[in-house]
Amino acid sequence: MTAPPDLAATDDIEFGVRLLAATPTHEGRDRDLLRHWATVATEFGARLGPVPSRARVVERDGGLAHGLLARYTSRPATVELYTDTLARAEALVDERGWRHWYPAGSVRAAALAHEAVHELLHHGPAKAELKHALGHVVLRAGRRRLYGHVAGAEEIAAHAHARTVCGLGRSPLLLTAALATADTHPVTAPHGREK
Amino acid sequence: MGVVILLVMAAGVAAMLTRRLPTAFALVVLAVVIALVAGAPLTGKDSVLDTVLQDGAPALAATMIAILLGSWLGKLLDETGIAGTLVRKIVEFGGDRPVVVALGVLAVSTLVGTVTGSAPAAMLAGIIGIPAMIAVGIPKVTAAGTILMGIAAGMPFELPVWQFFSTALELPVPTVRGFMIKLFPFALAAAVLFVLIESRRRGVEHTWSAKSLAPKPRPGRRARLGDAPWYALLTPVVPLVLALGLDVAIVPSLLAGVLCCLVTTTRPREMNKRLLRTLYGGFEVAAAPITLFIAIGILLAAVKLPGAIDALEPLVKAVSPQNAVLFVLVFTVLVPLCLYRGPLNVFGLGAGIAGVLIAAGIYPATAVLGLATSYNQVFGVADPTSTQTVWSAQYAGVTPQQVMVRTLPYVWAVALGGFCVTAATYL
Repeated sequence: MTAPPDLAATDDIEFGVRLLAATPTHEGRDRDLLRHWATVATEFGARLGPVPSRARVVERDGGLAHGLLARYTSRPATVELYTDTLARAEALVDERGWRHWYPAGSVRAAALAHEAVHELLHHGPAKAELKHALGHVVLRAGRRRLYGHVAGAEEIAAHAHARTVCGLGRSPLLLTAALATADTHPVTAPHGREK
Repeated sequence: MGVVILLVMAAGVAAMLTRRLPTAFALVVLAVVIALVAGAPLTGKDSVLDTVLQDGAPALAATMIAILLGSWLGKLLDETGIAGTLVRKIVEFGGDRPVVVALGVLAVSTLVGTVTGSAPAAMLAGIIGIPAMIAVGIPKVTAAGTILMGIAAGMPFELPVWQFFSTALELPVPTVRGFMIKLFPFALAAAVLFVLIESRRRGVEHTWSAKSLAPKPRPGRRARLGDAPWYALLTPVVPLVLALGLDVAIVPSLLAGVLCCLVTTTRPREMNKRLLRTLYGGFEVAAAPITLFIAIGILLAAVKLPGAIDALEPLVKAVSPQNAVLFVLVFTVLVPLCLYRGPLNVFGLGAGIAGVLIAAGIYPATAVLGLATSYNQVFGVADPTSTQTVWSAQYAGVTPQQVMVRTLPYVWAVALGGFCVTAATYL
């Protein structure tokens, strides 16, 4: 089965623009500005080296019902992987003929890499670096500039990092968009348990 | 006779709880049955038709006007983008620290809560505020709870609420205002503690969601126009400053808010259209609470009938604590009875009970004011059947019960504070 042209033909940056446009606080913003931010956030995420994670990994189902693939919580530091949605995503990769972009098992790896970036940005100085790179000035006083937070940029950076470290041909955002439009019937999970 | 009236009231609560009848309809039926049981004639003095229905229905007219004006101002704050701009600025300035964003959205919700209440207030602050908090990592239950706690912190200064308690309990507005000023620190402290403690306990949460790219509905008129100017952002405090600081009456204070919102955001040639559009929108928003206030006026008229007072006085007197410590303890323990449209819900049967307590002379009206407003702080946040709680929870993607469990300890403490002040001041 081939991918619908409107999804696979859309570039990864455009998916970033769509993510920002769907994020509250960006309603009505100029698309060129959103594209600039999406590009910067993507480059920032791709530049990040390997991100170590100290979070406990928990596998569970119930993600399909809420459209969730993974979740990071800081207290306690935990990454929850929703195995039913990950299995559906893997099946979708086959259905769409995207296996050359997303090797077997890469969705789980991408989820872990994605959430590791959220952990990094939550604890370290990287968040300030991302904000500086985005360059969204909200206040000026002479030469001094106060940079504002761009909601959604961290998510784009996390996806870009996952794409880079997992060696994916396309951003996980393409898969996210495909999942949102796909039939989300439960499928047989990789470990054979019917979800 | 008194026992029969109490049984009728219990049946009314059951009808509301099981949703066999909408609250407003149940209250009217309850009022007519109570009047008949109390031996009221059909027409004439202290009668079912003339006193309970004819005089009772418009008894809270001043409150209805205040509700309508608050809803109108709420619509204007929405359409002119003032509420949305406030939230956007908070996210831009404080997005690095989720707790700062939550405190900022709490402040906006508090401001909104001084203008209007119920689901429209939650929507005004929450439509952008809830997803914005979730986007920076605030867990969903905390995000919904922050909106509700913020609105509740503003509630002591919500002018339509002043008008309601003033009319329903037959107290001058300055008396109501005086108690609300004492209640406010408890509500504000609980709201801030909720954000700080829950943020500390739950940390942040980020999800990889398949819905993150889902296109949102077409941006509204304000979104296409951009942010509201900075001086327009002061609009929500205008009615409050006038009513609280300069002692201006409630209706002109709210009208001044409407006027300020209009002149700071709207070109002269568009003013008429915008005023009419938002006023009619305000009528839609105010329809449900106005219906409720008509019903409450009718119920109050019924429980104040001489026959009802004579029947209920000995019973209510026997179970109402007069000792200050017992007063605080008993009414604190009874807090859950204002949830799920229970008998102590002041926008339901609780209004009738308040009327009985005053009419029978069991407590001074000021003490009943303390009880009613304290219960209102609980009901306004934690009741899983109240429209603002249902809306906020569902919009955040959680259940109203989850929000109730998380917020109840905080608002219970607010009620305890209110009861302590009441016992110390008015008993």
